[in-house]
Amino acid sequence: MERIHNFELNEKFINIYWYEILQKFNSKAGGDIMNKRRLWSFSFTTATLVLIPAAVGINYIGKLFAGVLKLPLWIDSIGTALASMLSGPIVGAISGAINNIIYGLTMDPISFVYALTSVAIGIAVGIMAYNGMINTLWKSIIAGVVVAIVAAIVSTPLNVIFWGGQTGNVWGDALYAYLIAHTVPIWIASFFDEIVVDFPDKIATMIVAFLIFKGLPKKLIQIYQGGEKIEKLD
Amino acid sequence: MTRILSLYVEEDTLVHKIDPINKILYIIVAVAVPVILPYGPTGLVFIFISAVILLASKVFKKVIPLIEFSFLILFSIVVIQGLFHPGNRVVAFNIGRFKFYREGLLYAFTLSIRVINILVAFSVLVLTTKPSDLIEALVRKGLSPRFGYVLSSTLQIIPQMISTVGSIMDAQRSRGLETEGNLAVRIRAFFPLIGPVVMNSLIETRERAMALEVRAFNSKEKKTFLNERKDIRSDRVILLGLLFILVLAIIFRVFL
Repeated sequence: MERIHNFELNEKFINIYWYEILQKFNSKAGGDIMNKRRLWSFSFTTATLVLIPAAVGINYIGKLFAGVLKLPLWIDSIGTALASMLSGPIVGAISGAINNIIYGLTMDPISFVYALTSVAIGIAVGIMAYNGMINTLWKSIIAGVVVAIVAAIVSTPLNVIFWGGQTGNVWGDALYAYLIAHTVPIWIASFFDEIVVDFPDKIATMIVAFLIFKGLPKKLIQIYQGGEKIEKLD
Repeated sequence: MTRILSLYVEEDTLVHKIDPINKILYIIVAVAVPVILPYGPTGLVFIFISAVILLASKVFKKVIPLIEFSFLILFSIVVIQGLFHPGNRVVAFNIGRFKFYREGLLYAFTLSIRVINILVAFSVLVLTTKPSDLIEALVRKGLSPRFGYVLSSTLQIIPQMISTVGSIMDAQRSRGLETEGNLAVRIRAFFPLIGPVVMNSLIETRERAMALEVRAFNSKEKKTFLNERKDIRSDRVILLGLLFILVLAIIFRVFL
């Protein structure tokens, strides 16, 4: 009988084996196991590719509802965060990048450069989700703080280059004007401008994403866990 | 039928027929050259060129809303930098008690030129290219067709989701959801509104993935294109011309 040197077949058995082991070591996460070998995987299944447009749509809808309800926040990263929680930092980063590319091509060209910020958010949430930082509400809030800081750090150079440090947000820019009027260096003033808006925004985003993630059916979450080659989707 | 999210304006001009890749190259040149040759006038030159192209493609009027959008921020930048920019020394003029300094104003104007330059250069691409043509051009040049799909479907999904917003708000309101009032009320209203939309769209992804698999989405066979690409002669000329300008700018900067 022929030996089948099919790498994919072997990989599948190994992955199932690891899957079982990890399941034993899994803590109270409620079923969201991330296969340890797959955190930085670049192989995309159809399911993960389809997740990306959905994530961009969710980003847009979050922003839309925030506008309709006249909430003082952007809330335009829920989709990116969810994509990272479901499928890891790479997919989250790509969702974020495509989000800004599409905005740039269809609404506001300057969004293009802020793709870097979205990518950073995707990576940050992905890494934290993998490390269990979205298991409880409080951990998600802390995750939100981290994301806010990351987003502010990445956005500040962009703000300085393109807008001289401002962000277009009324409160942030007022703070910025106040700071540079008192001889605070532009970079620091700009950072505070950005973080004053990012803190509430990203914390709220992570809370919303957490609540949605917890409400998703397990069947859906399992599809996105890397490792096994998906043979049937039903 | 479903609209696609885009700013494309249907016209029949030469600019519309140019290969989208050339338009992308134009954006790169229009943005890079004013950086390589750091003179304010270079930016203005490119703004002028872009404006001419937009006029030639009869889409100039559509640029105005895009620029207006940024005008507010740019105006606030001019004011704030004029007043408070570190390194302000020479007073340009006074308004009442407020002194506007030349350094801050100059800085703000340079920024504005840069922003407007990027905006109009992008508009040349965005207003004269159908998104599907743009994505097809990228796939021809080597972008994975699966990512071409991801981009196309994003452009289709967003209008779909927008159209459901109205009906969801109505449905939830008729179930007693308060959407007006103080901040706490509005914040609480947020969840029942996005909840169903997000859940649905994520659950739909499963079905969409199945539908794609059934249609050989992951097949490694070489894909064929539905549309024939008509190469117009000027495509070559434009490509070489743009590259020439870019190289010229680099040489100018390095040797002068």
